[in-house]
Amino acid sequence: MADQLYLENIDEFVTDQNKIVTYKWLSYTLGVHVNQAKQMLYDYVERKRKENSGAQLHVTYLVSGSLIQNGHSCHKVAVVREDKLEAVKSKLAVTASIHVYSIQKAMLKDSGPLFNTDYDILKSNLQNCSKFSAIQCAAAVPRAPAESSSSSKKFEQSHLHMSSETQANNELTTNGHGPPASKQVSQQPKGIMGMFASKAAAKTQETNKETKTEAKEVTNASAAGNKAPGKGNMMSNFFGKAAMNKFKVNLDSEQAVKEEKIVEQPTVSVTEPKLATPAGLKKSSKKAEPVKVLQKEKKRGKRVALSDDETKETENMRKKRRRIKLPESDSSEDEDSPGAYEAESPSPPPPPSPPLEPVPKTEPEPPSVKSSSGENKRKRKRVLKSKTYLDGEGCIVTEKVYESESCTDSEEELNMKTSSVHRPPAMTVKKEPREERKGPKKGTAALGKANRQVSITGFFQRK
Amino acid sequence: MFSEQAAQRAHTLLSPPSANNATFARVPVATYTNSSQPFRLGERSFSRQYAHIYATRLIQMRPFLENRAQQHWGSGVGVKKLCELQPEEKCCVVGTLFKAMPLQPSILREVSEEPPRSKYIHPDDELVLEDELQRIKLKGTIDVSKLVTGTVLAVFGSVRDDGKFLVEDYCFADLAPQKPAPPLDTDRFVLLVSGLGLGGGGGESLLGTQLLVDVVTGQLGDEGEQCSAAHVSRVILAGNLLSHSTQSRDSINKAKYLTKKTQAASVEAVKMLDEILLQLSASVPVDVMPGEFDPTNYTLPQQPLHPCMFPLATAYSTLQLVTNPYQATIDGVRFLGTSGQNVSDIFRYSSMEDHLEILEWTLRVRHISPTAPDTLGCYPFYKTDPFIFPECPHVYFCGNTPSFGSKIIRGPEDQTVLLVTVPDFSATQTACLVNLRSLACQPISFSGFGAEDDDLGGLGLGP
Repeated sequence: MADQLYLENIDEFVTDQNKIVTYKWLSYTLGVHVNQAKQMLYDYVERKRKENSGAQLHVTYLVSGSLIQNGHSCHKVAVVREDKLEAVKSKLAVTASIHVYSIQKAMLKDSGPLFNTDYDILKSNLQNCSKFSAIQCAAAVPRAPAESSSSSKKFEQSHLHMSSETQANNELTTNGHGPPASKQVSQQPKGIMGMFASKAAAKTQETNKETKTEAKEVTNASAAGNKAPGKGNMMSNFFGKAAMNKFKVNLDSEQAVKEEKIVEQPTVSVTEPKLATPAGLKKSSKKAEPVKVLQKEKKRGKRVALSDDETKETENMRKKRRRIKLPESDSSEDEDSPGAYEAESPSPPPPPSPPLEPVPKTEPEPPSVKSSSGENKRKRKRVLKSKTYLDGEGCIVTEKVYESESCTDSEEELNMKTSSVHRPPAMTVKKEPREERKGPKKGTAALGKANRQVSITGFFQRK
Repeated sequence: MFSEQAAQRAHTLLSPPSANNATFARVPVATYTNSSQPFRLGERSFSRQYAHIYATRLIQMRPFLENRAQQHWGSGVGVKKLCELQPEEKCCVVGTLFKAMPLQPSILREVSEEPPRSKYIHPDDELVLEDELQRIKLKGTIDVSKLVTGTVLAVFGSVRDDGKFLVEDYCFADLAPQKPAPPLDTDRFVLLVSGLGLGGGGGESLLGTQLLVDVVTGQLGDEGEQCSAAHVSRVILAGNLLSHSTQSRDSINKAKYLTKKTQAASVEAVKMLDEILLQLSASVPVDVMPGEFDPTNYTLPQQPLHPCMFPLATAYSTLQLVTNPYQATIDGVRFLGTSGQNVSDIFRYSSMEDHLEILEWTLRVRHISPTAPDTLGCYPFYKTDPFIFPECPHVYFCGNTPSFGSKIIRGPEDQTVLLVTVPDFSATQTACLVNLRSLACQPISFSGFGAEDDDLGGLGLGP
């Protein structure tokens, strides 16, 4: 019956699984009062020894009591091996308690493993550590969240949420964004509230990364102008989904559908911010997924292997949002994220022309897409090469480009324009270049001057 | 005593499981007031000189000393200032002591890299008495090696031709007035622990710490012991929660690129501490005082540790982070204590060997840490010296001493004080249980078993 069940359980733990069964471990595992666990252990030992006196069972006991030492009556609490139990008992003037501490198959040399066992089971039960204890304290009530200070709460929230995200995010958030996180969280949503539905804004509070990207998004969206509300809804849907799901492929496909719709929109101005904002929304890797999907769609069928590669994601994000600061893009390089972005923003404006004439001819974001899609590899090598080609105006353009070489050599390079680029003067179609710029932007954003802080004003300069 | 009370209940745990397992309610907090407000620092300005603290110390202590002088040497004794002294005239002078010590660490000697000594006393030390305006060397029946700089006392004697003051007798301010503690009807205990020393790598002490937590939270022991443990109404952790080794400053000497990704040793230790505090505060009110090696300010009074370091434990309102020194009234019994820096500093500059003796001596001179700010870091107070005892406590403790000691002393006005030196737990595995009803203190020690056969030795039960 239930009585015998615990005996079998203990038998299984000790004999079959070769565990060290301490009273505390048993109490948490079986969900019983600590004293009952101690009694269970004792019962098991007695029965086992009765039926099989040669049983290989080693027991440790807890003895406590008082002892006169140095003129004081000292209360001693000791964990002793069975063979020393009687000796210790005889030394104590008054014995307060004796009970079984643990049972194990092997003889223990020292009490270290006992501590480890207890510590492990405690770690997994930290929140209800006094549930099976013999003392309950009425005053020990966890503080209601409202009572704790808002900053500590926010810190805790962001902290908890951070820990639930992928490692990429964690790494990135610790890049000095930790403490200000809570502050930023409170400030940023205000600016974004108008743009996005409150749901979206609520989600932004969860991760501090979002704060920065949100700010950029706002500017982007507003720069794009009119589509804000419409996009806002889309964003909030998108955002909401993204925030609620762990990043999964199916999520991406949903997003992809949405993206498709967005993609259909004619104006470049829409496309850009749309691409930008979704990218911006993706503070977490989840968000990165849709971006990749988007690229995938554009790539027309080339499958994007979704991977956890944070570098890939950050690359994508960087491509999409050159000017938007993505804290998580810092993961692969040990550079200063803000610095990197700042450096990057001035340079995109100068080369407004897409020496990417070739780029518009091909898909809008070929480099990024290709690289992202083709790039299932974790390692990328960036090689600085000079590329010379004829652009649309008939000018020969030479660029120094960071080419990302992955295992498949046919990857298009991610172009990054350095200041040494020759460009046809002026008129680089400011508008159509949205697409084009996106291409190179993604390329450049990805590598090269990685981790440059993209400033908000960079967006306006480009216009 | 704790043990005797614990032994009163029948032993039930060496028997088959019973359906009913007693659960005891923690004794509720009857009355608790934290009186550490004088030790809290608000805005701190270090642009002041330390002379002010001595001036205010003398001003505050003068009335007490004049009273005592009249009690000792008759009401007709003339209390004079140094500038009013007439040669060969017997009178009493009140002033601050300064001990000129050739071995006292100075910056010049630090540069010469002498190894730190345990005591800096020297036969050539001289005592000088300073009052508001003048100073005079002392000689005569005064124990130069025992006294330390910063003590305010009254000396009786006369000034000699050589310009020195010949001391015939001297007295201190002795114990401050004490309010009687209201009698308690049940036994209530306060557990004093210090020197947990987490992060120090000592595996033995980790098991001891876990056993301590288990006894207090009612996991360990038989019903009698658990019932007694339920009468522990408070736990005070008196400093040095982290080990000295967590303060290693190697990273300062190493190149930045080598230490970029290394974590401070205190981070792991603080996490462990957080878990321990969580277990404790889920069951009993806890007061945490910072100590010499804890992450808070160095100067006395040390400010409370920041709650952000303990995200798990601060959820419970039973956790209180308090100052060092700490004073509070628990169930009508007035506690005052430090983490031991005051006593260990006096130990270095005085011939007194016993920490308990030093503790008593500070009570008799009515000042918690007379050597501050001379050799012990202290905030430059100027309005009041918060280390002067305004009122005599019932329990006066100091943490991180080499061994346990407790004594009851009486004052001239029938004050009764229990002195407790709380030993360093990481070295001695011993904590102190103070019985509030009887004002008695019992040490409680923990042990596991080690590889050596002599378990009895480990328990201190050997011959």
